[in-house]
Amino acid sequence: MPATNVLDEVEIVIDDIGRGGGNKPPSHDDHRGGGGDDGSHRPRRPNPAQSGQKKYQTAILLGMVSIFMFFMALSAAFLVRKTGKDWIQFRLPGILWLNTVVLLTSSLTMDLSRRRLALGDMVGFKSMWRATTALGLAFLAGQFVAWRELVARGYYVGSNPSSSFFYVFTVAHAVHLVGGIGALLYVLFRNFNKTRVSLSVASEITSYFWHFMDGLWLFLLALLYFGA
Amino acid sequence: MLQSSLRTSHKVVGLRYLWLALVSVFLGMIMSLIMRIQLMWPAVHFISGSGVSPASYSALTLLHGSLMVFVVLSCAPQAGFGGYFLPTQIGASEMAYPNLSRIAFWITVASVFGMVAAFFFEPQSGLTLWVAGVAVFCVAAVLNALNFMVTTIDLRAQGMTLPRMPITVWAWFINAILSLLIFSILVATCVLLLSDRIAATHFFSAAALSLGVPASSAIPAFPASWQRLFWFFAEAQVYIAVLPCFGIITHLLATFSRRPVFAHRAVVLALCAVGLLGFCIWGEHTFAAGMDPNSPLVFSLLASSLGIPASILLVSWFGTLWNANAKFSTAMLFALGFVSLFVSGGLSGLFLSAAQFRRAAQGDDFVTGHYHLVMGVAATFAMLAALFFWFPKMFGRALDERLGKLHFWLTFVGVYCLFMPMHWLGLISRLRHPANDLTAIFATHSPYGSLQTLVTFATVVTVAAQGIFVLNVAMSLVRTPQASRRNPWGATTLEWSSMAAASQVSHRSHITSHLVIHRGPYEFLPPNLRFGGDDFVPQDSPTPALPPTRPTAFGPGPEPLGST
Repeated sequence: MPATNVLDEVEIVIDDIGRGGGNKPPSHDDHRGGGGDDGSHRPRRPNPAQSGQKKYQTAILLGMVSIFMFFMALSAAFLVRKTGKDWIQFRLPGILWLNTVVLLTSSLTMDLSRRRLALGDMVGFKSMWRATTALGLAFLAGQFVAWRELVARGYYVGSNPSSSFFYVFTVAHAVHLVGGIGALLYVLFRNFNKTRVSLSVASEITSYFWHFMDGLWLFLLALLYFGA
Repeated sequence: MLQSSLRTSHKVVGLRYLWLALVSVFLGMIMSLIMRIQLMWPAVHFISGSGVSPASYSALTLLHGSLMVFVVLSCAPQAGFGGYFLPTQIGASEMAYPNLSRIAFWITVASVFGMVAAFFFEPQSGLTLWVAGVAVFCVAAVLNALNFMVTTIDLRAQGMTLPRMPITVWAWFINAILSLLIFSILVATCVLLLSDRIAATHFFSAAALSLGVPASSAIPAFPASWQRLFWFFAEAQVYIAVLPCFGIITHLLATFSRRPVFAHRAVVLALCAVGLLGFCIWGEHTFAAGMDPNSPLVFSLLASSLGIPASILLVSWFGTLWNANAKFSTAMLFALGFVSLFVSGGLSGLFLSAAQFRRAAQGDDFVTGHYHLVMGVAATFAMLAALFFWFPKMFGRALDERLGKLHFWLTFVGVYCLFMPMHWLGLISRLRHPANDLTAIFATHSPYGSLQTLVTFATVVTVAAQGIFVLNVAMSLVRTPQASRRNPWGATTLEWSSMAAASQVSHRSHITSHLVIHRGPYEFLPPNLRFGGDDFVPQDSPTPALPPTRPTAFGPGPEPLGST
């Protein structure tokens, strides 16, 4: 076994400290977080008011990843099950196309409302935000009409695998959209002077989720149109 | 009691997960004991008054597996120890979303109630309740994973760069990424299965009625679809169970060897590789489920590739231990026991990665022995090591070392006598009974020879040895807290630092504390140096960097990580 070497001299080296904290360096227009490596050798204290806001954005992005994986698992099951001999294709309810337009319009109004907020126009922000909420509710109502139409045509949840997947996909999307509408109402009615999250961050993360629900709906519609 | 249940402190929630896991592990052990005894004497009707039915035995197996895999292996190392120590080790005062931790815990409790209650129902309705319980558990796991990831990404203290994170934090973080992905998949799978069972859909079975034939006719179901979805989750789930254990063991070996982690960055990359590969080898479990003929080769290659990160971890552990003046506390013994069990169980895994062998070994004792060694017992050893290590931090007093060592040796010998012979039994039973049916297994097991007797005897002894552990915990908790020994192991990470404890202010905003990190996590000093009388430098100590540690057999010792 090799002998260990004993150091004869101890050479002390002063190391640079404060090589950067857990957050990214602040950008010129956003004083987000503290502790970036800005070239100084003094560790910067994190900004308490702003370092806590980034976690909401991180959380919503990760939440969207989780929801994406959920729907991807359903999609994988759909594609495999579609190869079965008992798969019966059916015509999608026509109202789904109108619902799609409604949902896309709601994304547009959402974006307009955030632009108004950025300009400081609270009245414009609120009116566009209410329009987004109303369009979201209209989408849900339209989905309900689509389900009723399918039931009237004799396609129930357990009728055949294709109709089962239609209901599972649309109900799962609607459930998540209800969560999105809850967030819209929260932003609309909450007094942000008393919360940790700011109005701009809350509206930002709600918009991420809403646009994600939009994109997800487009994907599901395409999947159902070409598959079911 | 209501106020107590609403407490959101990460330490309280973490401790609750550990208590839940402790209760579950003892319930699970009792079930395994019942199963062993039933196998030895199938004529004695332990489980149901009307006799041993395959359904009641299967229900017991399912419940044993559910409690051990979901509650003990998935919760304790991650939500338990991770929830308790992750914020502290990165210098945060709390988790990013404390309320989410609390909600996730109570959702987990509800899911466990559901899974346990399922045992007492009729098989079909019990299975539906069990699936619902699993789906609920997955929701809690996703919430926890999200919380862990946001905390690690956004709430690290000033100076806590990624290279300076302890290996435990890396393991919890990578595990959270994996958990977020695969528990979402299992929720979807459970939704489809529940829909089949409740709403009469046909996601996993043929829609016979739509073809105009009775449902009872012989139209094949779609079990392969379920198998693929389930194993996509379950294969990655075993790495969810073992990743935090890798982190804990690496951390403990470094601490008790008084050495930095050997090849620290390679270990981090190896943990990432384990997570990534674990996501890709679900086909390992579906060799017998009618896959594409070319796919077993791909999955076998990928599964065998797991040997690379596993080898990196082993080299790191041995490199850390090499020529070290190690302290063989009970925690260190359990950590070394983990390494031993991981190597033993991992070697049998190499055989199982071959498609032909796996197809032949499907469902017999060889597989049981393998995964119990590598997933069940090894992970349990890691948790026991963590408990002995962090007990002073959690409760202010250490567990008794003598009782701990006695508990370790009895358990270590016991689990080897229990699970190693199962490999041999699996091979032999395959020769005697190619068909995998319960009646044949009962017939084989009941008059079986000395190996079966040894396994049952070892089960009894091992389960009984855990009584020593219970006694140790009870006696230690009754003892007065020892205020003088804040850091009995001389550990370097923040949970042991007095400066860190003083600077962390617990307040409602739960933002990053005003702590500043100056160095890496495993700065231990050579014998000729001391810092305040200690042979280590805490991470938050602003003292100058130090010369390299003493050379190893592989060359000059690694640089302390304070400069990274």
